[in-house]
Amino acid sequence: MALSGMRGLSVFISDIRNCHNKEQERLRVDKELGNIRTRFKNEKGLSPYEKKKYVWKMLYIYMLGYDVDFGHMETVSLISAPKYPEKQVGYIVTSCLLNENNDFLRMVINTVRNDIIGRNETFQCLALTMVGNIGGKEFSESLAPDVQKLLISSSCRPVVRKKAALCLLRLYRKNPDVVNIDGWADRMAQLLDERDLGVLTSVMSLFVSLVSNNAEAYWNCLPKCVRILERLARNQDIPQEYTYYGIPSPWLQVKTMRALQYFPTVEDPNARRALFEVLQRILMGTDVVKNVNKNNASHAVLFEALALVMHLDAEKEMMSQCVALLGKFIAVREPNIRYLGLENMTRMLLVTDVQDIIKRHQAQIITSLKDPDISIRRRALDLLYGMCDVTNAKEIVEELLQYLNTAEFAMREELSLKAAILAEKFAPDLSWYVDVILQLIDKAGDFVSDDIWYRVVQFVTNNEDLQSYAAGKAREYLDKPAIHETMVKVSAYLLGEYGHLLARRPGCSPKELFAIINDKLPTVSTSTVAILLSTYAKILMHTQPPDAGLQQQILTIFKKYESYIDVEIQQRAVEYFELSRKGSALADVLAEMPKFPERESALLKKAEDAEVDTAEQSAIKLRSQQQTSSALVVAEHPSANGSAPAANHLTLVKVPSQTVSDIPESSATYEEVSNPTVEALKENGPVEVESKATDISEINHQTKVEPPSTSRSTSPADLLADLLGPLAIEGPPAAEQYPVQGLDANQSPVGDLALATLEDQSNSVQPIVNVEEKFHILCTKDSGVLYEDPHIQIGLKAEWRAHHGRLVLFMGNKNTSPLMSVRALILPPSHLKMELSSVPDTIPPRAQVQVPLEVANLRASRDVAVLDFSYTFGTALVDAKLRLPVVLNKFLQPINLSPEEFFPQWKALTVHSLKVQEVVKGVKPLPLPEMANLFMSLHMAVSPGLDTNPNNLVACTTFFSEATRAMLCLIRVETDPQDRTQLRLTVASGDQYLTFELKEFIKEHLIDIPRTQAAPPPGPVQPQLPAAVPATYNDPGAMLAGLL
Amino acid sequence: MVINTQAKPRLLKFYSFQVRYPEPLLLPSFVTIQQVLGQFPRRDQALPPEKHQELVRGVFQLLSARPDSVSNFVEVDAIFGPGMKMVYKHLATLYFVFVFDNSENELAMLDLVQVFVETLDRCFKNVCELDIVFNFNKLHTILDEMILGGQVIETSSEEIMKSVEEIARLEKQSSTTSLIPKSISERFSR
Repeated sequence: MALSGMRGLSVFISDIRNCHNKEQERLRVDKELGNIRTRFKNEKGLSPYEKKKYVWKMLYIYMLGYDVDFGHMETVSLISAPKYPEKQVGYIVTSCLLNENNDFLRMVINTVRNDIIGRNETFQCLALTMVGNIGGKEFSESLAPDVQKLLISSSCRPVVRKKAALCLLRLYRKNPDVVNIDGWADRMAQLLDERDLGVLTSVMSLFVSLVSNNAEAYWNCLPKCVRILERLARNQDIPQEYTYYGIPSPWLQVKTMRALQYFPTVEDPNARRALFEVLQRILMGTDVVKNVNKNNASHAVLFEALALVMHLDAEKEMMSQCVALLGKFIAVREPNIRYLGLENMTRMLLVTDVQDIIKRHQAQIITSLKDPDISIRRRALDLLYGMCDVTNAKEIVEELLQYLNTAEFAMREELSLKAAILAEKFAPDLSWYVDVILQLIDKAGDFVSDDIWYRVVQFVTNNEDLQSYAAGKAREYLDKPAIHETMVKVSAYLLGEYGHLLARRPGCSPKELFAIINDKLPTVSTSTVAILLSTYAKILMHTQPPDAGLQQQILTIFKKYESYIDVEIQQRAVEYFELSRKGSALADVLAEMPKFPERESALLKKAEDAEVDTAEQSAIKLRSQQQTSSALVVAEHPSANGSAPAANHLTLVKVPSQTVSDIPESSATYEEVSNPTVEALKENGPVEVESKATDISEINHQTKVEPPSTSRSTSPADLLADLLGPLAIEGPPAAEQYPVQGLDANQSPVGDLALATLEDQSNSVQPIVNVEEKFHILCTKDSGVLYEDPHIQIGLKAEWRAHHGRLVLFMGNKNTSPLMSVRALILPPSHLKMELSSVPDTIPPRAQVQVPLEVANLRASRDVAVLDFSYTFGTALVDAKLRLPVVLNKFLQPINLSPEEFFPQWKALTVHSLKVQEVVKGVKPLPLPEMANLFMSLHMAVSPGLDTNPNNLVACTTFFSEATRAMLCLIRVETDPQDRTQLRLTVASGDQYLTFELKEFIKEHLIDIPRTQAAPPPGPVQPQLPAAVPATYNDPGAMLAGLL
Repeated sequence: MVINTQAKPRLLKFYSFQVRYPEPLLLPSFVTIQQVLGQFPRRDQALPPEKHQELVRGVFQLLSARPDSVSNFVEVDAIFGPGMKMVYKHLATLYFVFVFDNSENELAMLDLVQVFVETLDRCFKNVCELDIVFNFNKLHTILDEMILGGQVIETSSEEIMKSVEEIARLEKQSSTTSLIPKSISERFSR
């Protein structure tokens, strides 16, 4: 290269180097640009040498960061120069300065083409290089065939052919049509036989690109790749200049293994065997050596081999060998290898069955979180995030929190987001989750998005157990001297809602709470002020007895903010001020927030959205799909790793409610009335929830059940089809009866099993509780165990509001392996409208899922809803049909009437069918107080003193159904002190169906404590009523027949 | 990208490439710019200088913060787009930087940096920054023999040297200059 001859260029560069500051440099550059510009204008006097020199200067100026917006034509014109030096400069500078859209390039296409098809190899090389660097559509269209010819030509020198290969690759990317797949598969196979390693390396790059686009078309090339690997790695059959620090062309080895990863699998047993032999050799034969370059090269090959082994899904033995190697790498001193070790281990998480082995390295990985190199710390963070599950969540998240103290700013946001996600997904218990999030806010408040604290509030609101704990924690943080504003928000919110639960603790009186929160008021932003105002109002409401001083303070603040600049705050202040003066009205409006509807975690969603779909991240994604959110599934005990079922996609089954009376209005009215109820629920604050726990051992305790929280809701239609067969596709309710009918036919042979669940006779798994007894317990209670066998426990919890009910089924897997194909189907009687939320297909080990069930009562009936529940455990299919305790008394609300209210009603009901009297015999002898208790437990209020006869008993209740709305029911029992086995029962209501059903219902309960006797004796049947035959009251099969 | 320790660029080469396929982007290169491409103020030029200066600054900031004992890999998603990685070698007063996407093997790229440096060493006999400053055009020639369109074309520094020497020989042969035929340059000036 004639550098010595370009003095001008050297002088210019020296001048630039001598500039002391940017300003001088700019002046010098401007001067030079001016010079070049004038010289180019006056082109005639310009020698090719000068032209060349100026063009180089332009490139240099461009590199320094100055705009060079002229002289492009002169540059391009050099390409057409006949002599090599000018041509070369033209080609090089053009490919640096211009891009494919430049008009001048179009003008030289012909010249370029002539260079390519010409005889001069050096010109060919120059042209190919420029085309390969610039690409371009027009080049692609006009030059591709010529470039192809060069590549496959046998007469061309390797130096041309390798450039042609890469040039073609570039053109192919621009326009894939230039490579016709049919012809190319064979041609490619031939090219892969190439002996020259330079050409082969280029061809392999081209091949990787082709195969990544369409692996199917290139199956025939697969054995060739394996042979190349054998040639390099095993036979080391390679010219000296292509060994790099003793390694036979590491690049070609890497590229070849990369190409193989685009094939879904290697099927041919011979190729597979040969390939694994080579891979084994690479895995075993690589050691860490002193020479850095040799180390790099050998490990480049090794890591690519690891990736290929993972891709090929090798035998477990080889996999564990890989993990062992990676375990070694993450502990070595050489940072590059440690970095790649961590990266590949994260990829390894995709492979099943090795997570356990990876977990053994947890301590080492945590150490890497403290590495001086941020690249390594990031990798360690990714790996920890990927490998986290319920068993190690506590440890990992706490490690992340600790790291948060020292992490640089660049990493904090990612770190806190990941910690929050892990805490939510894998929390062993919810109080820990609250702890973690509060710590996060404390340590990295700036990086905790609103989503994160909203989520905590949701959890706390929906879990009563958590409320006083969370409020207490929030109170503790408020004592800290300088807390982040997000912490002020969340603390104020929690203390407003639940601060009163702490009232007895020192420092937690309303006054003190107010004082400590109010301390923050002057420093917070508008959005926080709004929260604080609400908190004050709530504190005020909870102050019992009212505290005039506190009220005055708070009202003053409200008054002050009534003229605040922000409208939202103004409005709050005005409203709270007015409400506060209303006294008791405040309590209604500001009652505790109702539970949040179950929703997907915004956080998890965000995380999923943010994930770029690369291999290692999809590993995490996959796992997050396998593991449900802790909110939905809380697994308490260490689950065996790898047991996360691959098939668990949380596909949810939604069972449509079925009504025999497919009257359109009925569903319409249902919709209509459901809204006011929801509102009523809001106004009344959350319904009392008896007990809840996240502990599975407690769940065994019947009444302890899990709080509702997040869930997802999808109801894939295809699953429905699975369940209901082709009929379901037809959709309308009428069609849905058919499967029920079929079921009825199946069930009738075992119908006389009566009260017990109808187990499929092939069932080998038997319940370990008395299902019938559990049912009857639940008839009078609202939570408890419905069913339990060695694998699963189903608990139930119910809330009732007028004619609506909300049940939650808690399905707890007692095993260390998952329950698969979980199906639940409700077979509702005609008088109930039931909607079961989707049931996950799989229940992970030691986990519990919650399935809400909405019920609406259409009219009075004693028919019972049946839950058809099945799952598979191992090979055993377990199928249980369970009666659901959605019985008549659930829709009763006791009411106490005074004599003045009672007697007019009683007397008004004279119509025979509205007021029914019957002498009941064979009653279980009960003392009168016990009988009163029985009535109470059935939600009928016994009003003593209404009947003057002390042997008689009068009870009143309100029955709710869609047909009757709230309807008063009056009951009178006249007992005979001589013979307690008989009594006279009178039932009156405004609806004949209701009267009859209620009478029969009471009879059932009086005649015997139902759990000890299979079926009540048949009562009189009134033909005009659509009641089921009494003998089969409790036989679901028969009941279903009645249904139809 | 070759930058000295004062953040002065000594060699920049961008193999920009508009993304056609979502996966994979096989672009080992000095710099692969994808999303930047759409924002070019002018359609007919390569990367605008403001942009590449910004890239140089970004890279230099990252590099200057890294001590010598750490790994040679940096994730540069923030500068070059998602999934982009960078390997670098710090030698005397120079950083040699390759930026590439996740379809390449990091260590193999690091080897390539080494090949590049070794080739320079052969070419200039104990290469130093000054050689590179004054022979930046020669660097382009060497690079073109090693990388084409963002793909490795030759990995043997001996082979690269052979080609470079041949080019030098050709240049000398024809340095007895002759004028470019007027007809061609005139055609362009129109």
